[in-house]
Amino acid sequence: MTEFLQLLVIGLLEGGLYAMVAVAMVLVYKSTHVVSLAHGQFMGFGALAFWFVLVQLKMPIVVALVLALCFAAAVGWAVERFAMRPLIGQPLFAAFLTTFATFLMMDGLFQLILKGESASFAAYLPLGSISVAGKPLPTTQLASFGASLLLFAGLAVFFRFTKVGLGMRATAEDHQLAQSTGITVRSIFSYIWMLSTVVATFAGIALANVSDIYFTLPYMGIKGLIVALVGGLDSLPGALLAGLLLGVLENVSAGYLDPIVGGGVKEVAAYVLLLLVLLIRPYGLLGLVRIERI
Amino acid sequence: MWRPCGIFDETYRQDMAIVRTPLRWGVLTVSVGVLLAAPLFCSYYIVSVLNTLAITVIAVLGLQIVTGYCGQVSFGQAAFMAVGAYSSAILTEKLGLSFWIAMPVAGVITGMYGLLGGAPSMRIKGFYLAVATIAIHFVTMWLVQHLEITGKSVGLPVSPPQIGPFAFDSDERMFYIIIPVMLAMTYGARNIVRTRVGRAFVAVRDNDLAAQVMGINIYYYKLLAFFISCFYAGVAGSLWAHYHGVCHPEQFQLLRGLWYIGMLIVGGLGSIPGVFFGVILIRALDESVLMLSPYFAQWFPWLGTAPAAGLGLSAFGLVLALFLIKEPRGLAHRWEIMKASIRLYPFAY
Amino acid sequence: MRTRWIRWAVVVISAAFLSWGLFPGVSWAKEVAFLDLSDFTGPVAGLALPSSFGIEDYLKDVNAKGGIDGVKIKYIGVDTRYDVARALSAYKSYARDPSVVAMEIVSTPVGKMLQNLLRSAKFVCLVPGDGEFQAHIGNFWPWGPTYQDAFAATIDWVLADWKKKGQSGKPKIAVLSWDNAYGREMLRGGKEYAEKQGVEVLPSELFPPGSLNHDVYLTRLEKAGVNYIYVGGVDPTQTNVMRDASRLGLPKKIQFISDYWGPSALGISLHPEALEGMVVISYFLRGDEAQNHPLLKRLWTTYRNQPADKMNEGYGMGVGAAITLVGAIKDAIKRVGADKLTREEIYNSYQKVTGLSREGILGPCAYSPTSRRGSDVVKFYKVTGGKIVPITDWVKTPDAVSLHKW
Repeated sequence: MTEFLQLLVIGLLEGGLYAMVAVAMVLVYKSTHVVSLAHGQFMGFGALAFWFVLVQLKMPIVVALVLALCFAAAVGWAVERFAMRPLIGQPLFAAFLTTFATFLMMDGLFQLILKGESASFAAYLPLGSISVAGKPLPTTQLASFGASLLLFAGLAVFFRFTKVGLGMRATAEDHQLAQSTGITVRSIFSYIWMLSTVVATFAGIALANVSDIYFTLPYMGIKGLIVALVGGLDSLPGALLAGLLLGVLENVSAGYLDPIVGGGVKEVAAYVLLLLVLLIRPYGLLGLVRIERI
Repeated sequence: MWRPCGIFDETYRQDMAIVRTPLRWGVLTVSVGVLLAAPLFCSYYIVSVLNTLAITVIAVLGLQIVTGYCGQVSFGQAAFMAVGAYSSAILTEKLGLSFWIAMPVAGVITGMYGLLGGAPSMRIKGFYLAVATIAIHFVTMWLVQHLEITGKSVGLPVSPPQIGPFAFDSDERMFYIIIPVMLAMTYGARNIVRTRVGRAFVAVRDNDLAAQVMGINIYYYKLLAFFISCFYAGVAGSLWAHYHGVCHPEQFQLLRGLWYIGMLIVGGLGSIPGVFFGVILIRALDESVLMLSPYFAQWFPWLGTAPAAGLGLSAFGLVLALFLIKEPRGLAHRWEIMKASIRLYPFAY
Repeated sequence: MRTRWIRWAVVVISAAFLSWGLFPGVSWAKEVAFLDLSDFTGPVAGLALPSSFGIEDYLKDVNAKGGIDGVKIKYIGVDTRYDVARALSAYKSYARDPSVVAMEIVSTPVGKMLQNLLRSAKFVCLVPGDGEFQAHIGNFWPWGPTYQDAFAATIDWVLADWKKKGQSGKPKIAVLSWDNAYGREMLRGGKEYAEKQGVEVLPSELFPPGSLNHDVYLTRLEKAGVNYIYVGGVDPTQTNVMRDASRLGLPKKIQFISDYWGPSALGISLHPEALEGMVVISYFLRGDEAQNHPLLKRLWTTYRNQPADKMNEGYGMGVGAAITLVGAIKDAIKRVGADKLTREEIYNSYQKVTGLSREGILGPCAYSPTSRRGSDVVKFYKVTGGKIVPITDWVKTPDAVSLHKW
């Protein structure tokens, strides 16, 4: 039983990170109906900017965070303005592929900056472990998990009480209706992309805190996509739920199934879950159910 | 169907012909002839690029049928190619069948597997289906890497095709298997999409509700589209395995599947010539970036060879993004406009 | 308007095609080329980049001194991005270029395909450490000892360590590595060797590259009563594993040993507390030994314009490979003259450079007609106080490849 509890807690911690990655994608899909692959790179670049200010320029952590978020917002604005806006009204798959092209473009730059090394800001952020009920839990992951919960709370407040947040929800509902009530859909799109890159930067910093900034970091974006789908592409609570679920499932299945089938279950568990969810609840756990025949 | 003026169909046979005019017959014969003679005057490298292009064209043709015509987006084509490659390898190496039987059988096996892969399309569509196929990709590749029969992570060796004592063991020799197969598959695809089945696919794509009202069994046609598409992928995979002489799980990565969709969109959805445009353009771009990467190092010596490679990747992404933004409907669309304007020259319309 | 930019695109693309079509065809007198098909971007870039830097810089240095008897060696680096189709067509574009006399390929699946392509040719192709290439002697030359041999050397070290600690009974060792071909390679032969020597090998724990958390695997191994864990993967995999392990308090009970692609001095300086006490097996110099090595220091500071303490030790491995290449070309020139440098002659020379000194960066060269191992000695290092320090001198690796049934 203690073993199961341990797997559960570790899974929850890992899942919190997944959820954060997924939220950024859900934000974009919710109002623009574009599925973005580029968010993996936004995570990488956000973390890189944070690392640059914090470790290379040796600025205080708050300044680093603010600068990194400003940088992220600028990137988000640029991508929306130059890559996404020209594609309004064109097939959605063209937009999807454009985000893929953006991913490749940024991947090259990422490589150019890192030159095969990894970057870490371990010395500046909490390390070590806290003992909870006799089990040592990683502080890095706890801190990242806490940050992700805070982020969710912040987003919930934002969407409920601010004008821009409400505008975004209206836009997600129906572009034309939103336009006719006086919301500038175009600038809402811009805000959405900026918000989502800011969220992605948070996720990137939290991830890099756990496993350093390395080539594999942008590829966590695929994990985020799966989480977003399991939870429902247009549901923020769904992303949180699915992230946690996936984290737990991966660890529990690796814990119990690996010895039976001979290893490597952690890799495939997520995809099996995704297939099952899609077959049973096609629009994800908490996604908006569209009533239509297929 | 739209006809240029001055060309009339007088018999049923003329009306049904794929190649309509003597001029087109001429162009077709000459271009196929030149293509088949390519190893005589092209370098080894060009021949090998043509081989890879042709295999890719076969896989993307299948994707065009399921995605471009039937509207079911699949990112799993790379995994389906893996199924084809491995079944062909197992059939020839472990069961001792000849390549000539193994290739179509591998296609059928992959088609059957594709029915499994297409099953989610009964419940979901759009992007949800697309990502379900990503999941199918990973589950398939995980199985390939962990099953005993596929040689686990080590892979399987495959022998080249043979006729009697003559082995097709070089690029130039394989060329004469790959290109005819590609031509036959293109002919097949061209025909499928204009039959009743093809029209049903288009109906399902454009409006599945309306299609059902018209009496089209959409489940049947969706699964059929997946079967045909995976048959193509299986044949492509079989050729790939016998051409390269080895099956290895890391040859079939998700990125391949994404690229195939990319080629389709760059070329144009719902058009057979579009497949050729897309495949050729993306491969040409990729090859030129690859070949230019040593020169990046010469142009930017302060970067060093290896990081300069990053520039190549960025340039590739940039060109692709520009292309998509400027031409989101694909090259086939531009091709149709160009054909019409040439035909009407010197008039505007 | 739209057609205009398409026209431009066509012009630019065809110009690009023409330019690479023309340039490689121009050959200068007395120049041979080394083709490096390497993953400059992608999952193993951390390993591929520094070693490619090393090869490139050493060749530059040789050329700057006038080449080998007037023959210059050109370095061609192509980014294959861990993509098989791309790597293969890059190879084929140089396949019939006679000036390319040797090559290097990092990715395993591409190596497998080339193995098939080069069946009858004689062409030196440097690869990482798969033991398969020692078992089937051919065109593929691992940079150093094979994974199996390094694992076997570790077994010897484990037995000595076990005795030193005064323990009795059989020590238990397990492999914790990536879930792919590489992660399984060391046990093909390594396992047989361990069993022969009386070390129990527990079932491997394999995880997907890029895992965020390794608690599951570590606790399971702990429960199985393991004494030694051999951690595979390319840096920073080991660092991430060790961060989890040290949090769980495992390094006190279990000795962790890293495969030779393990943490570099730079990685260790980022997480000194987590890696403390880890043993690293290596066939090239590490830590201060590498950063203060006169040749490496000079090359690094001259061609990379960076201080020596920023050097990744993989650089030394690349320099070692380049020294071997230059040695083989020298040998070929001596035998057949500078005008007859063909792939086959270089291949023959590679078999003759047995015992060539690599300035102490790697052990003496072990290539021979019956051996494809780049060297057959390794050194053990231990992370102590944020530094990686040697704990043994060069140790000969046992032959574990021949124990496996291939």
